[in-house]
Amino acid sequence: MMILHFFRVIWACLIKDLKSMLTERAFLFQCIILPINYNLLLILFALAGSNAPTAVVMGDTGPYAQQFYQALSSAHSFHLQQTTATEAASLLHAGEIVAVVTIPADFDTQVALDQPTSVGLKVNNLTTDLTDDVRRGVRLAVTSFAAQVFPDQVPIVAEEHDQHPMDIDYIPFLSIAALIIGVMVGGLLQAGTAAAREWEQHTIPELLLSPASHTAIALGKMLAAAIISLAASLFSLAFVTLVIGDWPSFWGEVIAFTILASCLFVAAGTLLGTMLRRRQTLTILVRGCSVPLFFLSGIFAPISFSTSGVQFLARLFPIHYLLVLEQHAFFGLSLNTLSVPENLLILVGFLALFLTLTVLAMRRNMMGFAH
Amino acid sequence: MESMQRWSEAHKQEALLPEPAPAIEIRSVCKAFGSFLALDRLSLMVKQGEIFGLLGPNGSGKTTTIHLLSGLSKPTSGTVNVLGFDIRCQGRHIRRLLGTVPQETALYEELSAWTNLAFHADLFGIARREKKQRIEEMLELVQLTERRHSRVKTFSGGMKRRLALARALLHNPDLLYLDEPTLGVDVQSRRALWDHIRLLRDQGKTILLTTNYLEEAEALCDRLAIMDHGTVLTIDTPARLRQRYGGKIIELECEQPLVALADLQALPGVVSVEQTQTHLTIVTNGAENLVPPILNLVVREGEIRQLKLVEPSLDDVFLRLTGKQVRDEAVRRSA
Repeated sequence: MMILHFFRVIWACLIKDLKSMLTERAFLFQCIILPINYNLLLILFALAGSNAPTAVVMGDTGPYAQQFYQALSSAHSFHLQQTTATEAASLLHAGEIVAVVTIPADFDTQVALDQPTSVGLKVNNLTTDLTDDVRRGVRLAVTSFAAQVFPDQVPIVAEEHDQHPMDIDYIPFLSIAALIIGVMVGGLLQAGTAAAREWEQHTIPELLLSPASHTAIALGKMLAAAIISLAASLFSLAFVTLVIGDWPSFWGEVIAFTILASCLFVAAGTLLGTMLRRRQTLTILVRGCSVPLFFLSGIFAPISFSTSGVQFLARLFPIHYLLVLEQHAFFGLSLNTLSVPENLLILVGFLALFLTLTVLAMRRNMMGFAH
Repeated sequence: MESMQRWSEAHKQEALLPEPAPAIEIRSVCKAFGSFLALDRLSLMVKQGEIFGLLGPNGSGKTTTIHLLSGLSKPTSGTVNVLGFDIRCQGRHIRRLLGTVPQETALYEELSAWTNLAFHADLFGIARREKKQRIEEMLELVQLTERRHSRVKTFSGGMKRRLALARALLHNPDLLYLDEPTLGVDVQSRRALWDHIRLLRDQGKTILLTTNYLEEAEALCDRLAIMDHGTVLTIDTPARLRQRYGGKIIELECEQPLVALADLQALPGVVSVEQTQTHLTIVTNGAENLVPPILNLVVREGEIRQLKLVEPSLDDVFLRLTGKQVRDEAVRRSA
């Protein structure tokens, strides 16, 4: 009978919380749409920082000049447009382009005579990031042009051996992180709000004064939040696979790790909501912490490439391990020095910790309620 | 209803037996929050089947007492038994037998009345086959059947209170705790709630209520405890309390302000004297034959235009026992 009642309480709390959540449709919509929002944000970020808008003034239109233009184009640093010198100056002045590359009128003649020639480069050195991109891109174009035109004079070539079977583009790589951050913020907000709502609306006595097990109450509430969080994850997963084009290498892992992520953040959210007891405080905290945690966890590159201090901090939070596991599930990558089972074990440990702390917090709050 | 009848039959049989165990028994309980002593050797006994009122100013220890009784808090020392169960180790048993109407009603306002009750039924493990019938009965009892599918946030204050009462009764508790049951409720709803509460007492339930409306305490309670500073100052029926602590009040309208106020105050049996221009309010301890010496003293200075003997109210008893100083629990706690 006790066991039956335990499961009945879980079911009752699950249904009650789902019904409550469905009455707050705007919030629900926000939590579901959030992961896609993060994806769009990262895409915009990647697009904004990827190629520097650059004008090329073709003083010469001969074959060498055309070949040099192709070398610039292949440098993966520029968004090129051919203009006149006057237009280029005007665009640079207006802040619409980062740099102007001028191919001189005697470019072909000088190259054909094997004589030195100068390619003009005007840079709007507003930010080091873009300026450095332009500098590196132009040098790369010069080197690759010289290697094509004078292969005998450039004896050094890079012999590349790829560790992975394919190159992963920047946006598809970032999208996995966006999926995780979406699950994290959605889970924390949904579960945290459901827990804090009981305190804010003074309905907590109904739970605390019942003979129901606190563990069952906590589990029921978490399950309700997990269902919403998983629905949000599905949307995000569909976006990542169908729109971004990240097709998982291991579907089973993707599903398992996404469910694990959802459970983990729902447990953490319930803990936060139980401790904070205020929805506004919870929302501020979750929104405030999610972005730093996001950047700390190795979204742009494996965390092992970072400094030891950053690595240490990243390993304190579950999001890092989830990111590693999801990158493995999608691309077969290993982004830290641990194996997949080791990463998984750490996350299961985090989940057990959050669940235990949540039940303890509910018990402590039960006593705190009386103070 | 069937379970109610069974209970009633059993109750009749019990009447032939020796005095039943008290519903609530608190013995020398102390409860400390840090250095603040919220309850100071509190002792209290509530009989089964009575409406018992707990009165006291803010910070007197009422809420702490209630939290102890519902198992939300543990005493620092002393023993608390509720319906024969020790709150230290049998809190879950007590909660199963306790129905509560908290001051804030604790209803899920975004959900319907029916969903609120159904959720409560699941939390308290009411058998599935009885659940629907019990909910219907309770909604009928508090006259909310027609609004069963409406969201609670559309209810008036009185309707919410009634629904909270229905919810508290859903699992057929033996002990019902009502915290300010008619706070913010209109007169009609208040009277209806009083009738419900009396009906429950007649059905054999024990009811513990806290209220700041002394009129309500007087109308409902079989016995009252007045608390202050974490201890019980007195326990008795409202009538006896008035008799014991209220004394009698003599109001006089004189020709001119009385000069010999000190002489009046010095009379044996006079508790206090207040003069507002020509109006005198004399509170006595209720001793017999106090009127002639008072009148003798007053007529020495002039005629008496009007004389009125006032029966004390429960408010007078309350103020006499707890003082007139306004309390602020929060301020006291933080201090």
